[in-house]
Amino acid sequence: MKAERPVLHRWTRHEYARLIDESFLDEDEPIELLDGLLLMKEPQTSPHRTAVLLVEKAVERAFGEGWFVQTQSPITLGDRSEPEPDVCVVRGSPRDYVDAHPTRPALVVEVAQSGLRLARGRKAAAYARARIADYWIVNLVDRVLEVHREPARPGPARRHWGYAAIEMLDADAMITPLAAPSAAIRVADFLP
Amino acid sequence: MRVMASYETRTRRFSRAEYERLIDLGVFQPGEPIELIGGELMVAEPQGVAHYTAIVKTAKALEAAFGPGWHARTLGPIGLDDDSEPEPDIAIVPGSPEDYSRAHPSRPVLTIEVAESSLAVDRHHKGSLYARAGLPDYWILNLVDRVLEVYREPAADSAAPFGWRYARHEEFDASAGVTPLAAPGSSIPVSRLLP
Repeated sequence: MKAERPVLHRWTRHEYARLIDESFLDEDEPIELLDGLLLMKEPQTSPHRTAVLLVEKAVERAFGEGWFVQTQSPITLGDRSEPEPDVCVVRGSPRDYVDAHPTRPALVVEVAQSGLRLARGRKAAAYARARIADYWIVNLVDRVLEVHREPARPGPARRHWGYAAIEMLDADAMITPLAAPSAAIRVADFLP
Repeated sequence: MRVMASYETRTRRFSRAEYERLIDLGVFQPGEPIELIGGELMVAEPQGVAHYTAIVKTAKALEAAFGPGWHARTLGPIGLDDDSEPEPDIAIVPGSPEDYSRAHPSRPVLTIEVAESSLAVDRHHKGSLYARAGLPDYWILNLVDRVLEVYREPAADSAAPFGWRYARHEEFDASAGVTPLAAPGSSIPVSRLLP
């Protein structure tokens, strides 16, 4: 097998934790561990920040009691991924996760502008592999919500993990989270 | 305002000072084959039997050709620039090993990579990095085709990964002899380098 590109070192979550413990990496440094790579996060523009706040509010209302919403905070996916999704919905209350980051959010939402390729590519692959059932991208470039469902393993049809069902919803459409079947949110509520 | 959707995924880059701190902290496993190349942590090619044999043979042949006042470092770190600390298979540097007990050498007069699966990376990626650092004499011992590739005369080229490449490229087969730039009186049979 010939490598055309240099093969990058893949970090484990354990090594990543040591970098933070040793104050080698600042806790606030805009990076996240995805599939062993320390990736730089999309810069926070004002529309990005606004969308994150809008999504947080809307999904909090839709899910109600028994769930909580965390923004730009780590979740643990396997040995080599510790991403910090813009918004995710987790069962229980914050105190349930004092000793370990959440591992199975019911919904993950990324807001993407310059980072659209990353959100559709490596991130979708990492979330699909972790069997996240409901993954949304608030696409600020085209002002649509991309709903990614049905995690699918690599096979003849796909080289990497991904989602088999992807829907693009425009501002007028309504969306119902898989884990909150009685809720309905207007896509426009997410858009800055 | 429309923002471009095509944004290249970037990994966290490391400076050489940070890389050396990572090693001191013991974050990597001892012997983990990692090099810092242009700020990226690269995993080196695994050492096969032929690869290792070629390194030993080449180091011996070059030490004989250069004579006293020089030595061959094998798989030793080179303090190349602020964001690179590669570990070439062989590097010829002036002086004795004790001269580098405080800092890695930075400018070998001859740098050699032995390549099997890493051929493309050694040619394009490392070749560009070494050219940018101004290393005058870069050889790739190509075990796939059993030839020695000799690269010289660093020149700027914006299409290369690090903005530089070698303008001159020659190939020598096993029957040929090669003369290092820094040892002009010598001629080394390429057959003495190949495993």
